[in-house]
Amino acid sequence: MADYERRPRGGRGFNSRKRRYRDDDEYDRRPQRRRYEEPLAVTLRKQILSIAESPVRKVEEDVSNIAKTLAANYFDTDITAGFLHLVVQMTIEQPLKIPFIAAVVLVLNPQKPEFAAEILKSIGHATQKHIEAGNWREVKLFLRFLACIQGLFEGNGVFALLEDLFSRAVDLQTASSEDSLGLELVKIILYTIAYTMASSATGLENDATQLLDKTDIIASTPHILENLVDPFYTGAGDEPSTTQSALELFQKHLQEEAKQAWELSCLPRPWKSVAGSDEEDPLASAQKHPFPTIVVPETLAIGPRSIYPDVYFSVYSDQDIETVPPASDITAFLVRDTLTDTINGLDFNRNATAKFLIEVDCYFAPNTFVRRATPFDKLRDLAGDRPTWKPEDVAVDAAFSQLFQLPAPEHKLVYYHSVLTEACKIAPAAIAPSLGRAIRFLYRSVEKLDLELAHRFLDWFAHHLSNFGFTWKWTEWVGDIDLPDVHPKKSFMSAALDKEIRLSFAQRIKGTLPEPYQALIPEAKAKDTPDFKYADDKTPFSSQGIQISQLIRRKAPDAEIAPLLQEIEQEAAAHNLDPLLASTDAYVTSICYVGSKSLSHVLSCIERCKDRLLSLGPASPAARRQIITSVMGYWTNQPGVGVNIVDKLLNYTILSPASVVEWALIDNVARGTILAKAYAYEMISVTMTKVTKRVRQIVEAMRRPGLPEEQMAMLQDTLERERGDMQRLFGMIEDCLVGVAEGSNDEVMESDDNTGGEEEARLVKRWGGRWMRVFQRRYAVEESWIREELAKPLPVPAEEPEAEEPEAEEQEKDEEVKMEDIEERGEKRVRRENPLVDTNGAMQGLESDGVE
Amino acid sequence: MATTMLTTVERLDKPSAYYLGRNKKRKFDRDRDERESKDRREEEPADPLKDATTLYVGNLSFYTTEEQIHELFAKCGEIKRLVMGLDRYQKTPCGFCFVEYYTHQDALDCMKYIGGTKLDERIIRTDLDPGFQEGRQYGRGKSGGQVRDEYRDEYDPGRGGFGRAVEMERIKEEEEYGRGR
Repeated sequence: MADYERRPRGGRGFNSRKRRYRDDDEYDRRPQRRRYEEPLAVTLRKQILSIAESPVRKVEEDVSNIAKTLAANYFDTDITAGFLHLVVQMTIEQPLKIPFIAAVVLVLNPQKPEFAAEILKSIGHATQKHIEAGNWREVKLFLRFLACIQGLFEGNGVFALLEDLFSRAVDLQTASSEDSLGLELVKIILYTIAYTMASSATGLENDATQLLDKTDIIASTPHILENLVDPFYTGAGDEPSTTQSALELFQKHLQEEAKQAWELSCLPRPWKSVAGSDEEDPLASAQKHPFPTIVVPETLAIGPRSIYPDVYFSVYSDQDIETVPPASDITAFLVRDTLTDTINGLDFNRNATAKFLIEVDCYFAPNTFVRRATPFDKLRDLAGDRPTWKPEDVAVDAAFSQLFQLPAPEHKLVYYHSVLTEACKIAPAAIAPSLGRAIRFLYRSVEKLDLELAHRFLDWFAHHLSNFGFTWKWTEWVGDIDLPDVHPKKSFMSAALDKEIRLSFAQRIKGTLPEPYQALIPEAKAKDTPDFKYADDKTPFSSQGIQISQLIRRKAPDAEIAPLLQEIEQEAAAHNLDPLLASTDAYVTSICYVGSKSLSHVLSCIERCKDRLLSLGPASPAARRQIITSVMGYWTNQPGVGVNIVDKLLNYTILSPASVVEWALIDNVARGTILAKAYAYEMISVTMTKVTKRVRQIVEAMRRPGLPEEQMAMLQDTLERERGDMQRLFGMIEDCLVGVAEGSNDEVMESDDNTGGEEEARLVKRWGGRWMRVFQRRYAVEESWIREELAKPLPVPAEEPEAEEPEAEEQEKDEEVKMEDIEERGEKRVRRENPLVDTNGAMQGLESDGVE
Repeated sequence: MATTMLTTVERLDKPSAYYLGRNKKRKFDRDRDERESKDRREEEPADPLKDATTLYVGNLSFYTTEEQIHELFAKCGEIKRLVMGLDRYQKTPCGFCFVEYYTHQDALDCMKYIGGTKLDERIIRTDLDPGFQEGRQYGRGKSGGQVRDEYRDEYDPGRGGFGRAVEMERIKEEEEYGRGR
């Protein structure tokens, strides 16, 4: 490396970087690559894409350079077409940069007004398209772009469109109190006002105040569904929730801003230095344009995403030094809004998302935040009235707000995990401490958190640690180890360790834990093959159990197994035991034991035994539940494996969803203490997801264009039946939980005479209430989705799909939905699942090697 | 690629090699078996991946279990089938697997959210795959494992130590020149 530095050609020219790493080829004989001038269109594209990204460059200069290049090369269609395209795309994909791209257009206008007109036209088209499709986030972002270039427009520009949107919002809100689209429209209006007032345009104060007066009534009326999306659970005796509607708060902030001459101090104003030169202001004297024609249809589509009211959630709300803007500051909302749009719009590249999050300080006014990676302890020393907001905390907070979005975030939860992981990888020293404080907040609040969110926290926590060597300062929670198992904190710790083990293995996780925690991972958890209880001759029916397992292992036909099961049944009957339960236990436990090597193994065992297993359910509901008891009993130390097997048994329809609910919430409710077990929640949750997904698939099948009438009628019947089943199941869950939540379950009180008894009873009741809230919400969300979906106009057949990023929802619609009964469907899945096990019971799998 | 498809940042749910142009290809073309898999893809039309629900998952440790894979990959949707890649002779996992989902979208999401993250403390690689078929075999090494594990000269405890061909060489040398030389 050293002598390389002496080489004359190193370090200069655009290719120098490449050569530095090739230090072993003193005499590189490869032909020198011909010098390559990058076409201007490419250079310009790069400049535009990276606008405002660098904290050392002056963004105002970049803005005016880009504008100058564009104006000078107006004849070059590569450049102009490229820019038209980029403006539209960046608005959606990189919303943080909207004010900067808009500034380019502002500065460009005096130089090439005809190009500015073209840009306006193309933005207008895009806005129109998204309004019609009901893509409200996109609409909001395009309006933001238009707001930022408000200075270009004749008259009051964007306000006319906002008035139109407002009148639709009024119609929607008067039509139904449950309407949420109206709220979304008001949100769009409010955010657009903010950016308009921070634009180069002047003299709009009246328009803004008038509109704000009107939106107040909609924004400030609490929405019916607001309680549904509160991230905190309020039980009996709790203080009422302090969660506030984000929309209402933002409305208040804007009204305040109106009184402060629209200071909006955090928003960037990259056009300023151009406008502020001592000569005549080129922006003010430039040609004005009419606002692009955008028609708001009479009836508006809800669009592909269901809309729920937004509440403001922060994991840094209770610190003694503010590290994020508080909800009482408008900055909190303006920053959060674009960050969440960035996160949700860029799910196709989590690395880019993480990068933008970390660079958040570049996209707002200078000095909005403290320097990156300022340690928390140093914030105290910072001088007086400047904000102490850490960009890392603001970024992490935004990601968590999505991860903890109720009823569901836009993308799969694992996407938000991956964003946090990448952010932590890019800037570990800055992000990791922020995550630490977030984790501590969530852990402290775990008792108050909505139960679904507590589980999301759990899942994220374990997954995150798995990406960073499972290191966590467990010592700080040592004091909670001795809490009762039903305490939410203890429950969280046990469940987190269990999840970690599922992603790794017991010995590894044990190695990451301080001594006091060792007892939480018993030896039995580390066993790959849990003990087979029939191997112990003290277990009743042990000899038959052993024989059955041997027969299953060597794939004996059912005829050979049947006599042994009958033997058990006769003996059991003689001892006054339920014969079928005793034989089922031996049968299923043997299957689990023989199949303990892997999921494939147990699936192949189940496949071989499925006729007998399938016949158990109709024969006796109790026997069907015994299957679960045996599976969960065998895997008692690794309940995650058990839950997986139960899930597969549901696919085979060997189990029914109702049997799973009954098993957990009636047979094994154990005075309600099972509700503190994460695996029980997972089991019920996964089961109900299966049920609701099924209903959704039927609805989606009905929404397919051009369906023949008789098929439609058939689907209608199926939907009615399945919807009824779903309702009954949710009802059943609620009935089971109500007893626990109200403490009417007599046994609850009967617990031991220790002093903790009363406290435990209180905790158990709380679990009941938290469970209930989750499943009530899930039912409400499903029902409202079905109503919403069926109310949409049927799509027109043979629509040309547009060359655009496909929405997840649309994709799902394309999925083939079989119309057979759920039974048949289950079987179908099973056959395709055909596990790969050869005649010797050894895995056959893919007999090969590299496909890399 | 049409300009309308180009995003302002790269998409992570594209098949790894197929969409990369020839110039870029050379840069990434580091070892033999990677080239092999690229050649394989080049021969195929783009269609087989259009509705792909299967992912090839690479760089697994030999000790990673089905359950671990399931635990991670189920975060992107229900798994229809999981096929462990096994060593031809030893019938033990040899560091890759196929994960099949029920929907194409789940597979794409997995590319975006899970590919390149860690499982069992190793960065894993995912790639869309036209689908597993019985008897399908690629890039077989002499020893029965993945080709990349034949010639690897770094020690990787998760994947059987040194590459097997390299290891054989070492053993031979030791026999000839004595231990520890």
